Amino acid sequence: MSSEQTDDGRLRPRIHFDRHAPEYRDRFEEITHDLHGRCPMAFSDTYGGHWVASGNREVATLARAADVLSNDHDVHGERRGYQGISIPAPARGRGIRGGFLEMDPPEQRAYRDALNPYLSPAAVARWIPFVDEVTRACLDERIEQGRIDFVDDLANIVPAVLTLAMMGIPLTKWELYNEPAHAGVYTPPDSPDMKRVVEAHIAMMRDLATTLHTVRAQPRPGLVDALIRLRIDGEPAPDEELLGALGLLIGGGFDTTTALTAHALEWLSEHPDDRARLGAERGPLLDSATEEFLRYFTPAPGDGRTVAEDCALAGAELKEGDRIWLSWAMANRDPQVFPDPDRIDLARTGNRHASFGLGIHRCIGSNVARTVFKRMLLHVLDRIPDYVCDPEGTIHYDTIGVIQGMRKLPATFTPGRPLGPGLDATLDMLQRGCDEHGWAKPITERKAAAKPADGENADRD
Amino acid sequence: MKVRVDPERCQGHTLCAMRAPEVFELSDIDGHSSPVAEEVPEEQQDRVIDAVRSCPERAISVV
Repeated sequence: MSSEQTDDGRLRPRIHFDRHAPEYRDRFEEITHDLHGRCPMAFSDTYGGHWVASGNREVATLARAADVLSNDHDVHGERRGYQGISIPAPARGRGIRGGFLEMDPPEQRAYRDALNPYLSPAAVARWIPFVDEVTRACLDERIEQGRIDFVDDLANIVPAVLTLAMMGIPLTKWELYNEPAHAGVYTPPDSPDMKRVVEAHIAMMRDLATTLHTVRAQPRPGLVDALIRLRIDGEPAPDEELLGALGLLIGGGFDTTTALTAHALEWLSEHPDDRARLGAERGPLLDSATEEFLRYFTPAPGDGRTVAEDCALAGAELKEGDRIWLSWAMANRDPQVFPDPDRIDLARTGNRHASFGLGIHRCIGSNVARTVFKRMLLHVLDRIPDYVCDPEGTIHYDTIGVIQGMRKLPATFTPGRPLGPGLDATLDMLQRGCDEHGWAKPITERKAAAKPADGENADRD
Repeated sequence: MKVRVDPERCQGHTLCAMRAPEVFELSDIDGHSSPVAEEVPEEQQDRVIDAVRSCPERAISVV
């Protein structure tokens, strides 16, 4: 490591760090521990120059300093021109603010207050019977063949269907949203496939705009309705901001949980003893194992900030306008906080990982992610406990700059029997439940679970 | 042992309630935590100490 002197006389440790490079994925542990050892807060020349916080203490300090670090994405140049949470700002989303994750308080607070009653632990627990039905149907579609792709056939579908249900968007549209939500993350900008992915993204945004107008004209419960009814200083938010927030809910709800689930299932296939233990001791282990998978695989590896005023933080002299990358993924491997950080310990205690972010911008959907992940995992452990993943057919994302995800995870297992109707019939049945019983209402208006009515699915007890 | 959750720091990670569900209750509205009672029963003290260690925001303190 070298140090450099800035024009205004500050001395700062200098590194070369590129989280979008394939090398960062391939040598993640080596690079992470090198930074921890030498400079847990350092300056990289990449992407116009930015700070990189990798140490747990440094990341936590910075994430809690929302009074001096801004998330603002000033897409129209109306304020201070800050670039939001991506470094560099992504070409695909240029000109679109990423919802309340790219806002500062008090505006950001208004959005979170409006959405929290749909996403709290109590609110999300109501959806467990719904999640179980979608998961059952996904496994039923494949269980007689003894072959499944955990990404395509399970982990892409369940988070997508639940997210749409909670938003108040028809469940049958999950494929329209699914393709851009995943392919938009893993497709490199120079790929010949990019044109198709951009078109899919435009179709998704168009459908979100249509949904906004439809729900405004004919209200139906859900997160879309909550955003329409949101008021800031007595005024509704502009449609452009609402679309950004809806895009954020899709982006947060889809690819992240898919990534976590696929990685955990792959690891459990490689560690059959741990898999058997988790299946047998799920009572004491399910929570700690879930948090450990979150820590180790960190689906969303980091977020950017912009320094809003000169200050000294995390051992660095920061200047207004400086950009900082907060690496949740590297903070999660800091040996000062996590003993033996590169090992998965399903019973780990004191696991204060940063996988949902820290501070006021912490993931608002964390309870959704945990619930969906746990239900999918338990169904797999119960119904196809001897599955074996096929490394030849497994495809991880080439880079881990945005999401540490997977595209394919094929597996084989001893075939079994379906327990109920297939996916299409199940989604029809669940859509009726959403429409007739208002499952997507906030916890303040509806306490009961989203449970399919008796007799509608007579095969299940 | 007395336990306190700093409401300014708590962001609703819910890990404390996973470790000590009888000691911490979560708001239905936003999932933020508060102790059921200030005094921690003796048989819950180990779990509460683990909750303190688990809190990503360092929002829980015991005296």
